Amino acid sequence: MKQMLKSAGAILAVCGLAAGVSSVAAHHSTTMFDHAKTMTIKGEVVELRWVNPHVSLSVNGLVGDGTTPEVWLMEMTSPGNLMRAGGWRRDAVKPGEKVEVTFSPLRDVEKKGGALKRLLVVATGETFTASIRDQERPGIE
Amino acid sequence: MKNFLPAILIAALCLPAGLAYSAEAAKKAPTLMNPPPTAQDWADIAKLPDWSGVWNPKITDQDAQVKTNPPPWNEVAKKKIEQMFAEEKAGRPRLIFHSCLPEAHPTWMLVTHNAMEILFTPGRVTMLGESDGNRLRRIYTDGRGHPDVSDPTLHGHSIGHWEGQTLVIDTVDILPQAPLAVSEAAGVSNNGDMRVVERIYLADKDIMHVELEIFAPKILTKSWKTTRIFFRQRARKFEITEGVCVLGDLAERVDADGDHVFVPVEKTIWGNIVSTPK
Repeated sequence: MKQMLKSAGAILAVCGLAAGVSSVAAHHSTTMFDHAKTMTIKGEVVELRWVNPHVSLSVNGLVGDGTTPEVWLMEMTSPGNLMRAGGWRRDAVKPGEKVEVTFSPLRDVEKKGGALKRLLVVATGETFTASIRDQERPGIE
Repeated sequence: MKNFLPAILIAALCLPAGLAYSAEAAKKAPTLMNPPPTAQDWADIAKLPDWSGVWNPKITDQDAQVKTNPPPWNEVAKKKIEQMFAEEKAGRPRLIFHSCLPEAHPTWMLVTHNAMEILFTPGRVTMLGESDGNRLRRIYTDGRGHPDVSDPTLHGHSIGHWEGQTLVIDTVDILPQAPLAVSEAAGVSNNGDMRVVERIYLADKDIMHVELEIFAPKILTKSWKTTRIFFRQRARKFEITEGVCVLGDLAERVDADGDHVFVPVEKTIWGNIVSTPK
């Protein structure tokens, strides 16, 4: 069984590459997101990927007035910038925690992706923002 | 004596050639690149300005300069840049720094969104970028010149010297593929022969100015002078973090053997993540 899973994983990885998974990681512009729009998702954290150059947060929940849960994937700046600009940590949120996320959606909303603007951890009331330009505020600790 | 005559003649004929060979050999003799530093070398470092700490780029000024001080692009480059700006505005931003390539020199200085630190050791100044998207510069301050034989790299060959409290750097041998970019979505390959002269100094206690003059004859009509601002916040409690760009393409998972492994995520041609593996 283990061998089957390993083989399946290998096949999946290869198929993924063939299907358009590409090694194009890079610092990139964010205009694929529609910054004129703001949406909210309320739900549970699936995963916080604490990686360069763009941290991502996936949330399973209800978007706006929706009634069917959906998984949306939020993208942010790098871990270093999030720490400096928004007080983030690798364990800022954990899988299963209830959150509310405000975000600007991808222009192609069918892709269910967004640029995170603000994260509220429901249990603690703690909030995190993600604007890299916030680092320039004078006197911040 | 007769017997010695041929030998003397041969020696006389060979002498100039031998001298020339010796001079050539001396010229090409390897230079000692990293001599053991003396106590005086370390003491001299203490006289340099305090550039320690974490330096962040002033991104709002980068934004402003896109409009207030654009490069003097030549006609061909200008058309490409205008098209890139139009595409970016339309939500299709060009991925200038694809494949996790470093931003390269001088673009790292111009558009980086990440912090850097600067180290002084005898004979060199080293700049370390937070993310390997911007990476590493070595600036030799030991008096050497540029190499006779060009060996281009993404950050080029940099030699520097101190004029008072200002570090003056001259950089050549930058790969022609290295982009000259004004944003993460607008930049063109320098196409060769680029040279960059920098003057770096503290404009205030915690403000660093990097004055650049960029000579890129294949894409600019004249040299481009611009300044970038970096700042540090001594009171803040953070360090530079390790930033390995390619990890952005991967998700941390545990495989069937219980081993912690990396698995590819799905991304668009613009670089944003679409989905992660289960």
